Amino acid sequence: MTRYQTRLLNFVYRTIGDREKAEDLVQEVFIRVYRHLHRFDRSKKFSTWVYTIASNLAKNELRNRSRNPLVLFQTVQKNFQDEDRPLQFEDTTSRPDDMYRKRHLREIVEESVAKLPEHHRNVFILRELEGKSYEEIAEITDCNLGTVKSRLNRARNSFAEIIAPYVD
Amino acid sequence: MDCREFCDQHVAFVDDTLAGIELVRMQRHLMECESCAKHDAKIRRALLLFRNLPSIEPSADFSQRLEARLRNCEYDHLFVTTQRNLRRGAIAATIASVLMLGYIGSTLFHSDAPRDLVMAPVVATIPEPDLTPFTTSTPAIVTSVSAGLTIWPAALFAEQVPVRFAHSSLELANYTR
Repeated sequence: MTRYQTRLLNFVYRTIGDREKAEDLVQEVFIRVYRHLHRFDRSKKFSTWVYTIASNLAKNELRNRSRNPLVLFQTVQKNFQDEDRPLQFEDTTSRPDDMYRKRHLREIVEESVAKLPEHHRNVFILRELEGKSYEEIAEITDCNLGTVKSRLNRARNSFAEIIAPYVD
Repeated sequence: MDCREFCDQHVAFVDDTLAGIELVRMQRHLMECESCAKHDAKIRRALLLFRNLPSIEPSADFSQRLEARLRNCEYDHLFVTTQRNLRRGAIAATIASVLMLGYIGSTLFHSDAPRDLVMAPVVATIPEPDLTPFTTSTPAIVTSVSAGLTIWPAALFAEQVPVRFAHSSLELANYTR
């Protein structure tokens, strides 16, 4: 549990963009693993199975959000409330404007990822953040190898295009 | 190599999964094509930013909340299992009752009809003789021979060996010849 909780949390959070909900979903992943452990095929990789559950839950959450505009609005509103966002780059040796730029850049990167289409974003996060192989990603997302590579290529191009004006 | 082929293989190039020859061709194309070199640099810079995003940590009470949920999950599982077992027991009891009632009903329903009694055959046997205390000189021979011989050869030595007789009430009887 300890081994996977941070990684899963980052994966789900980057996918759905809501930290509180991401924690709930990660807990739900562990509950499902606990309930269905007897059904796990031990010839397969355990982490792939866990990530598959997490990916499906994140997808369901996004699907539910798109059907419920109120939930979407509340999520967007919450994400823009500054007091809820922890300051990740707390560095007293840096100048204040550097800290502001760093924090601002982090937000830009997160927002740029959130702008990617859902099926591209999923593959992008699994590859770039979680370091999963193409085969593992294909198994987690239930698509073939060619599709994984194609989506990854498009995700990288799209992300680079979105973020280019801010880093040039 | 042309730019289209370069773009098609760019994912594998960035992930360093290309075979040696292909890798060399891609690197050569980068040196020759400014546009593809800019594209490659743009992608790598963007990926560097993303990969260096700080990791978020679970909140302080995350483990506590998870443990509470897992405990509830266990209770729910026990409850469901108990309910299922009770239901199965109730179904089994109902079926048994129905069968029993059916049997009783069929017995009562058919009780007026005349039936041929089938008795078990009687086998006459010779009555057992009355057992009386042994007084005659014909004893039930319960004898043993210290040599461990069977009765038949022992009888041959009856004249020679001392023999003690006991009658059916297992009392020592005197035998005089």
